[in-house]
Amino acid sequence: MNVSNLSISEISNLYKNKELKPSEVYEEVFTNASLSESIIHAHLKLFQDEATEASKLSDERYEKGNPLSDIDGIPIAIKDNINLKNHETTCSSKMLSNYVSPYDATVIKKLRNNGVIFTGKTNLDEFAMGSSTENSAFGPTKNPWNPEHVPGGSSGGSAAVVSVGSAVASLGSDTGGSIRQPASFCGVVGFKPTYGTVSRYGLVAFASSLDQIGPITNSVEDAKILYNSIKGHDPLDATSIKESLVEIPTDKNAKVGVVKELMEEGISDESRKEVEKTIKLLKENGNKVVEVSLPLTKMALSIYYLIAPAECSANLSRFDGVRYGIREAGSTSYEMMENTRAEGFGEEVKKRILLGTYALSAGYYDAYYGQALKARSAITKDFENIFKEVDYLISPTTPTPAFKFGEKTENPLEMYMSDLCTIPANLAGIPAISIPTGLSKQDMPLSIQLMSPARTDSSLLEFSESIEKLLSFNQRTSLLEDMK
Amino acid sequence: MKKDIDIKSVAKLAAINLTETDEKKFEKDLNIILEHVDALSKMNIEDEEINIHPLGEILNLREDVSSEFLTHDEAMSNSPETEDGHFVVPPSLD
Repeated sequence: MNVSNLSISEISNLYKNKELKPSEVYEEVFTNASLSESIIHAHLKLFQDEATEASKLSDERYEKGNPLSDIDGIPIAIKDNINLKNHETTCSSKMLSNYVSPYDATVIKKLRNNGVIFTGKTNLDEFAMGSSTENSAFGPTKNPWNPEHVPGGSSGGSAAVVSVGSAVASLGSDTGGSIRQPASFCGVVGFKPTYGTVSRYGLVAFASSLDQIGPITNSVEDAKILYNSIKGHDPLDATSIKESLVEIPTDKNAKVGVVKELMEEGISDESRKEVEKTIKLLKENGNKVVEVSLPLTKMALSIYYLIAPAECSANLSRFDGVRYGIREAGSTSYEMMENTRAEGFGEEVKKRILLGTYALSAGYYDAYYGQALKARSAITKDFENIFKEVDYLISPTTPTPAFKFGEKTENPLEMYMSDLCTIPANLAGIPAISIPTGLSKQDMPLSIQLMSPARTDSSLLEFSESIEKLLSFNQRTSLLEDMK
Repeated sequence: MKKDIDIKSVAKLAAINLTETDEKKFEKDLNIILEHVDALSKMNIEDEEINIHPLGEILNLREDVSSEFLTHDEAMSNSPETEDGHFVVPPSLD
């Protein structure tokens, strides 16, 4: 059986009907990982022994008719910036290369209680800073559709493993597009929930007011199942929100706005055409689609590249060679810290810490960080106003399909531009999803992004499911078949 | 607003030891980024509020009561150097 083509609910039903066992599914995804890793390097660690054991325990639960949940026995990979007890959490950084987590993140605790099988930890740009996994201290991940291309980032490993079938689903984190952009580049679904709906406890913080954990999956339905398993208020995360679900139309009465500014300059024809194709399908379905303007989205990149580095410089100050991570010698404490941070952090991380330190330093704080926070409020208001007119917003997820290695490493702004369409949702704290739509001329995946008002995650997922059906794109990478 | 960045003093504040090659590269890259973000200084947003939580929520602090999380040993388990339950660091003064 090829489980890569099955949804979580299909696998779960086969388990319940005793037509398939969790250990069989795990064996298949592990075989896929063993075959593909030498080419794509998506995992930093595979938990073979532990996962085999967990799958057998899951077998027994189904045998007795007592599964822990509908996702009991589903193999799931975890981005290596999320803490899993007694396993390394390296954040793809030399700084944390020896760090072993003494605790589970809240999302891990929830999944563990639901009986999922943790397959391993996946590669990322160091401390989730990047859009291609080229910033991983342990080498980049390759795109399963064509290894000459990047898988996107920062959750490139998490997107690649789902795309190639070495896990049924995965968790990523999204600060400026780090779930949606790699999902788009690898031809899978990536969902960034409303800020605060999923606990960040145990996620290594990059930019605390923007970071959000979310699922990367083969289908919208799978994303919905995984999201429902990890969401919920958590007293251990002060920014976590108490659920107050808001419902908006999800049928043909749903009104969709096309963001004018995200269809113009900097967006490739191929990316734009996927949105136009989807608009046509929506109109045929009876949905009203109108063009809307969000002029401040043009400022989103500037706002983001002040807020994210500022928060990053504060968050990463904890890596000082004292409590965890590597240590380099120094004759004083400060010298030891300076040497440790010089040795432990990679170039992009240093760059963002320096930028954030500058933006927060005396004399510049109000002009840079303060101004960026005010601009963020302005952009959030723009979204609130536009959502009085339409229920959903549509745009490309990325300005182009997956680019090649080395293509955007010279000028920092070129790489940052690949998050042009995804950053606004992080600034406004709203939910957003990337849905695969088709292939480019070079046979690389293309996608669209849908955004909706804060707290309408369930409606967004339901509406996305219907769009996914209208698009009926379900092509997978042939990497494994080509290898066999 | 934009002023050329004094990379040496910023690196000192950030506690990152930079080589001369690093300094040149970062100074160049940071100036490119600062030039781009300078667009914000022209926005007329003086009256906008500043929200720490993106949804404007009040941060919910849990009750200040002790409970079982990490043991002392677990909390110290990743430290490069400890002694008798304390973190050990080089002297703070020259």
